[in-house]
Amino acid sequence: MRLFHNYHYVAAMLLFCIGLYTVIVRRNIIKKLIGLNIMETAVFFFYISLGYMDNGIAPIRVGGAQPGQMVNPIPQALILTGIVVAVSVTALALSLVILLYRQYGTLDVDHLMRQEEDEGEGEKGKGAEG
Amino acid sequence: MGAYRHFPIFMITIPLVGAVLLPFLGYLRQKWVPWAAAIPLVSSTILGSLLMGRMPAGGYLSYHMGNWDPPFGIEIRVDYVGLFLMLIVCGIALLALFFSRLYIFKEVSGGRLTAYYVLFLLLSGAMLGFVATGDIFNLFVFMEILALSSYALVAIAGNRNAVRAAFKYLLMGAPSSIIVLLAIGFLYSATGTLNMADLSARVAESGYTEVLMVAFILFVIGFGVKAALFPLHMWLPDAHSIAPSPISAILSGLLVEVSAFAVLRITFSVFTAGATNLVGGTLDAVSVFAAAAVLYGGIMAILQKDLKMMIAYSTISHVGYIFLGITAFTAEGVAGAMYHMLDHGLAKACLFLCAGSFIYVKGYRRIEDLKGAWRQMPWTCFAFALASISVIGIPPTAGFISKWYLVYGNFSRDRWPYALILLLGSILAAVYCLRVIYYMFFQPGKEGAWETVSKDAPSSMLAPIWILSAGTLFFGLFSSLLIPSLLRAAKFLL
Amino acid sequence: MKRVVSLLFLAALAVLLLYVVANMPPMGDPQSPTRTHVVPKYLEDAQEETHAPNVITGIILNYRGYDTMGEVTVIFCALAGVLAVLGREKRGRIYAYADRSRVKSSTIVKTMVRFTVPFIILFSVYTILHGEISPGGGFQGGAIIGASMIIFTTVFGLYESSQRIPQKLRLPLEGSAVLTFFTVGVLGMVGGGNFLTYAWPHIAVSLQPAVVVWLTILVEIGIGLGGAMVFISILFSMIREGEEVAVVP
Repeated sequence: MRLFHNYHYVAAMLLFCIGLYTVIVRRNIIKKLIGLNIMETAVFFFYISLGYMDNGIAPIRVGGAQPGQMVNPIPQALILTGIVVAVSVTALALSLVILLYRQYGTLDVDHLMRQEEDEGEGEKGKGAEG
Repeated sequence: MGAYRHFPIFMITIPLVGAVLLPFLGYLRQKWVPWAAAIPLVSSTILGSLLMGRMPAGGYLSYHMGNWDPPFGIEIRVDYVGLFLMLIVCGIALLALFFSRLYIFKEVSGGRLTAYYVLFLLLSGAMLGFVATGDIFNLFVFMEILALSSYALVAIAGNRNAVRAAFKYLLMGAPSSIIVLLAIGFLYSATGTLNMADLSARVAESGYTEVLMVAFILFVIGFGVKAALFPLHMWLPDAHSIAPSPISAILSGLLVEVSAFAVLRITFSVFTAGATNLVGGTLDAVSVFAAAAVLYGGIMAILQKDLKMMIAYSTISHVGYIFLGITAFTAEGVAGAMYHMLDHGLAKACLFLCAGSFIYVKGYRRIEDLKGAWRQMPWTCFAFALASISVIGIPPTAGFISKWYLVYGNFSRDRWPYALILLLGSILAAVYCLRVIYYMFFQPGKEGAWETVSKDAPSSMLAPIWILSAGTLFFGLFSSLLIPSLLRAAKFLL
Repeated sequence: MKRVVSLLFLAALAVLLLYVVANMPPMGDPQSPTRTHVVPKYLEDAQEETHAPNVITGIILNYRGYDTMGEVTVIFCALAGVLAVLGREKRGRIYAYADRSRVKSSTIVKTMVRFTVPFIILFSVYTILHGEISPGGGFQGGAIIGASMIIFTTVFGLYESSQRIPQKLRLPLEGSAVLTFFTVGVLGMVGGGNFLTYAWPHIAVSLQPAVVVWLTILVEIGIGLGGAMVFISILFSMIREGEEVAVVP
């Protein structure tokens, strides 16, 4: 069956779902970011396995390598850009986490949401001093 | 065409390079940074306007990067609609930049000033690149620049609320980017190309319909989060109300529009209107969600006490309008959606900048505190009223024109429930806008809350506000400037 | 409750995605659209047209160079974002948590790091310059330099490493990737083609290979340097805990 033949894709999709689950369910912010990275890695894995070929060689024309036998270079080029983008998002997210921790003292998303409601109530009580 | 064909790429890269060079200037003389930041945007606007009259005969400008023909190289494709959107982006960004010059000291500490302008230019340049590109992976890259700079700009005030709102935004926006990347992967696996024009041909003849259908669903989800379509909108109220006001203006007025435009491009330029078997079911679901968005945004806006929160929920409602126009699949509907992008951008940016000027002059954020505001700040209040009229959709403002086309487009396709919901949305908008206007003009102010002598916001802040609100009136009166070409473009897409 | 709903939603998503996968072209199929459409031309002609044996380098720098320009703008944007949120370190004696830790790094670790970091940097320079012929390239080399500085900072402390790579060196070079791309792009327009053309139509055909090769190397170095400086600046911003002007006890 095609599903078993495309086993790389299946693994990539399962990893994607695991990552998305982690982002949604975990309370610790760092774990959510790790889940985000797992999702990104799953997508990269999916792309690279698009270019897979049995007994393929790297797409570098040295030593008499035949073009017909090389793996697909396009997904690899796209994923180079994708990895840089993922790193940038992670860097920005981590800097926000640093600031969150400095200001709230907790990395627990539920505590942050609860603080938000407390502050919301406090603001409604305040008047035009605002 | 000569030298003009190079203009789009300069429109995109000059703000980006300006952003990179700005820290040098900030190091030497920080006072010049706002003026220097305006230079790239002004030049992009000038280049865009010069290009407007000189588009090639086919209706679009196709520019091959590196002299490689697509699909081997990347193509920049600017048609009339795209150029129109690029000019809107340049214009509104420039006005928000001028507004920022004085306003920004209120919310951002001095050391972050250069970073603010750098991120601002990156945001503007990225939006221009996002609209102009003809390659779908390039779309993703520019979407990321857009997303990253907007996350940082929401957080730039540095206080607890800002960081929390920015993180919530990031937590929804980053997975949405990954979903878009996955969708691009599916599209690539089924067709083998990344160029949008090539994709449209190969999607039509490809046999892998299931893959393409799911790819479309994922595109809608991914861009829907960025455009804040109904069930995926949760990040918007916090992010837009807590961001500095000029940034809220750009986020609400440009970012959500541009993301909705991306959905429009994917639907019509990549999947093409003929592929109803692929996109039809998803678009029906999107219509339902868009209708829910109109009602939900309107109702929640009525319930808000904070001015910027109310305006943010109004944005959610208007995104529903745009999507109802796109999914109507008629020329009038699509043209109405595009015109709505223009007038919503103008009106919403004006509303947020007015809220900003209230905060600047008096520090008031709650609607109740605006009672009797017109005595001290008449210019701001009148501009707010004018923009609200466009939001509600009363003639002769631009909002009326776009709503007319949206309702007509939906009605003519037997989608009269959606047309009714659009009208209902106008009623809801009337409620929440008129409430603010009533407080501003017709209610006496609290003791000592407002001074009797008019001491409105400084003119550098009032000028952008008035240009934007005059724009809503102008584009309503002179809609014949743009509507015919938009209708033609929409018919061409279909 | 939330867990159950999320699990159900994710189960639905997993079913959807597996449904897609079941209908995709078989893995490794030489007739699938990805292999038959654009790729053969890339594999055949990349060496002649881009003068880089590594086809992937040819794609990311030459054919799809605009995407790479967007990528370096993304990394610069991340830097701008991190600086907007956390702020740059001031001049003076700066500290990270590791500097004031009671547990100092052992002499063995310090000596090993001092020995290996120069070789790591040498390796990264090799990766940057050799990217056309072997796997590697500008960004990979920049990331390796960044990694070596992370090791150095972790072991020796923020003050030491910021002495080695001071702010006045990093600030001008952070944007070098974007500026290099823009310069090469405009030169391409001057040379007669569109933006980011490497093989200038206005010069003699015999000179074109040399121009292409030199421009590619220039772009690689720009990306590598810019990427390295961006990583190091992000590192320094994130790891600092505070500035002190006083001397450490």
